[in-house]
Amino acid sequence: MEKKDTYLIVVAVVICIIISCLSPYIASGDPDGLEKSAEDSGLAEDFAIEEINGIPDAIFPDYAFADNPDSQPLQIVALVIGALVTLFVGFGVAYVVKK
Amino acid sequence: MENGGIELHIPDGFIPITQCIIYYVILIVALYFSVKWARSNLDEKRIPLLAVLAAGIFAIMSMNMPIPFGTSGHMVGGALVAIVFLAPEAAVLVFTVVLLIQALIFGDGGITALGANVLNMAIIGGFVGLYTFKYLNGIIGKYPAAGIAAWLATVLAALACAIEMAIAGTFPVNVGIPSMVLYHFFIGIIEAVLTVIVLMALDKFRPDLLAWNNATEGDA
Repeated sequence: MEKKDTYLIVVAVVICIIISCLSPYIASGDPDGLEKSAEDSGLAEDFAIEEINGIPDAIFPDYAFADNPDSQPLQIVALVIGALVTLFVGFGVAYVVKK
Repeated sequence: MENGGIELHIPDGFIPITQCIIYYVILIVALYFSVKWARSNLDEKRIPLLAVLAAGIFAIMSMNMPIPFGTSGHMVGGALVAIVFLAPEAAVLVFTVVLLIQALIFGDGGITALGANVLNMAIIGGFVGLYTFKYLNGIIGKYPAAGIAAWLATVLAALACAIEMAIAGTFPVNVGIPSMVLYHFFIGIIEAVLTVIVLMALDKFRPDLLAWNNATEGDA
């Protein structure tokens, strides 16, 4: 890989880490567009039009550690892990489809 | 943080399984064309570019910003990816990866709704973003064109999402559609600003990565 492509990855990882460190503290906790529209539509929080079984629990539900969901440092860890996993899977998929 | 939110991320249970299957069929067809595109267009430097855009989109989706009406929203990035590569196929690949990881590891967006989510954010977001950009580029210049394209991509992706919710019977048409469009009118401004910033940064530091700078494939 060329040097400038290595720089691109390093810069991107640094930006992802900065965003991950800020998000747990500054991201808005207000409902987002779809959640708010669901509220406007009078849907209950656990609304489901159809019971869907057999979906495994998320490892990091809501981008946090399941046993300590309010810990902001752990939310940072979850986000950084997520960004790195996405980077690696992105690479893998791109290589595989390129073949 | 109420982190991540579902911001266009349709969760499990919002769409009946039979309808989810239809969206999955659309996803499979889109992936077929995307893999075909990747074979002839990805190279040593575009593979890392695709991967870093995926990671960046994953991260930025955690950054919900406040908009009016006590609501929040974050950048999605479908238009950005499609404009960077001048190919909506790239957005389909990136969002399939990001949304799969978000659904499986973080419980954000349903695994059953993956097809619908890729349809809204990558296929509709990517196509609307790219072709709006291409149309406006010659008239108002690339950055204003990219900003408007990103805004329109967000609003139309939200409209598509609202229509899917109405077909599913989850949102009533008369409430769901105006709500989604109204909130995403504002969320689209966040999308537009960040899309333009990322494109400017890439054009300054790595102009070789932008397909619009590449004469052999740039037709924008």
